[in-house]
Amino acid sequence: MQLLTRKFTVDQYHKMADVGILTEDDRVELIKGEIIEMSPIGLKHAATVKRLNRIFQQKLGNKAIISVQDPIQLNDNSEPQPDVTLLKPRADFYESKVPTPEDILLIVEVADTTFNYDRDIKIPLYAENGILEVWLIDTNHQFITIYRQPNKEGYQIIQTSKEIQNLSLLTFPDVTISTSEIF
Amino acid sequence: MQLLTRKFTVDQYHKMADVGILTEDDRVELIKGEIIEMSPIGLRHAAIVNRLTNLLPKKLGDRVIVSIQNPVQLNNNSEPQPDVTLLKPRADFYETKVPTPEDILLIVEVADTTLNYDRDVKIPLYAENGILEVWLIDTNHQSLTLYRQPTKAGYQSIQNLDITHKLSPLAFPDVTINVNEMFGSAIS
Repeated sequence: MQLLTRKFTVDQYHKMADVGILTEDDRVELIKGEIIEMSPIGLKHAATVKRLNRIFQQKLGNKAIISVQDPIQLNDNSEPQPDVTLLKPRADFYESKVPTPEDILLIVEVADTTFNYDRDIKIPLYAENGILEVWLIDTNHQFITIYRQPNKEGYQIIQTSKEIQNLSLLTFPDVTISTSEIF
Repeated sequence: MQLLTRKFTVDQYHKMADVGILTEDDRVELIKGEIIEMSPIGLRHAAIVNRLTNLLPKKLGDRVIVSIQNPVQLNNNSEPQPDVTLLKPRADFYETKVPTPEDILLIVEVADTTLNYDRDVKIPLYAENGILEVWLIDTNHQSLTLYRQPTKAGYQSIQNLDITHKLSPLAFPDVTINVNEMFGSAIS
């Protein structure tokens, strides 16, 4: 038999940070009640995130807040830290609120060693919690999968950059990004 | 790749209890930094623990403190709750100290559904931390495995006993317990 580890709520997870059981230096995220140690970020991964940050800044300006490797709260037991999150503008830059699904326009996950985990665990979790659009970037094979139309069972539309060369954002259809800019 | 869950120290685990993240009603134990939910206790498991709870004080009197399903602290990242622990006598009954390996004379684990986990994870952990003697009772096969001579690499003496055998705790060679006394209905 498989023994079960204790699961935690978002409130308990925050309390651990409040009392110093977890610190700001801990690279962890809460996924379905489990506190997961995030894998070390490789150079290619880091560069891709930096490039995306610049691309989104240039193309979107003040139309969105770009959040890099910061927490978002999906529900009562999941608080992941996506690589890039595009958030609806908010005067206080989310100083008084952890972003929740209704604030989120796009999540980008960059995967090198964690591709299967991202695809099989995190993408369904984003769908279940109504995240409108997710891009999963596979840095090893240089392709992007675009997920749209979330429901409880998963995303209903899944396309890869092999089919579409110019990516556009669901919420900003006039903005296009070519895959060559990302890799 | 397998993602890693965050591990905790005994201090962090206690802090969780202090601030209410864990409560007294949580049936958990800390094993190698992981907070494990303990499985529900079946009737047969409970009956064996109950028999030992009554048998051991009769045979050992004030020579030990019998501790049932209470925590013991093995090291910095393991604080299990063995089914039965025989502790060295202490005037305050361990009110001011969680028992650590040097206080422990014997640990008894009763296993029904958790036999593999107990044998493969907990027994080596007890050996590594110098627990002198462990009895692992398999309720399904009505047998008892006796582990002695702990080293970092495991117990050097392992004996399998069935209900026809009797045994004495290492610390009390004058006290004899029949394995069938633990299983009740097994004796004719």
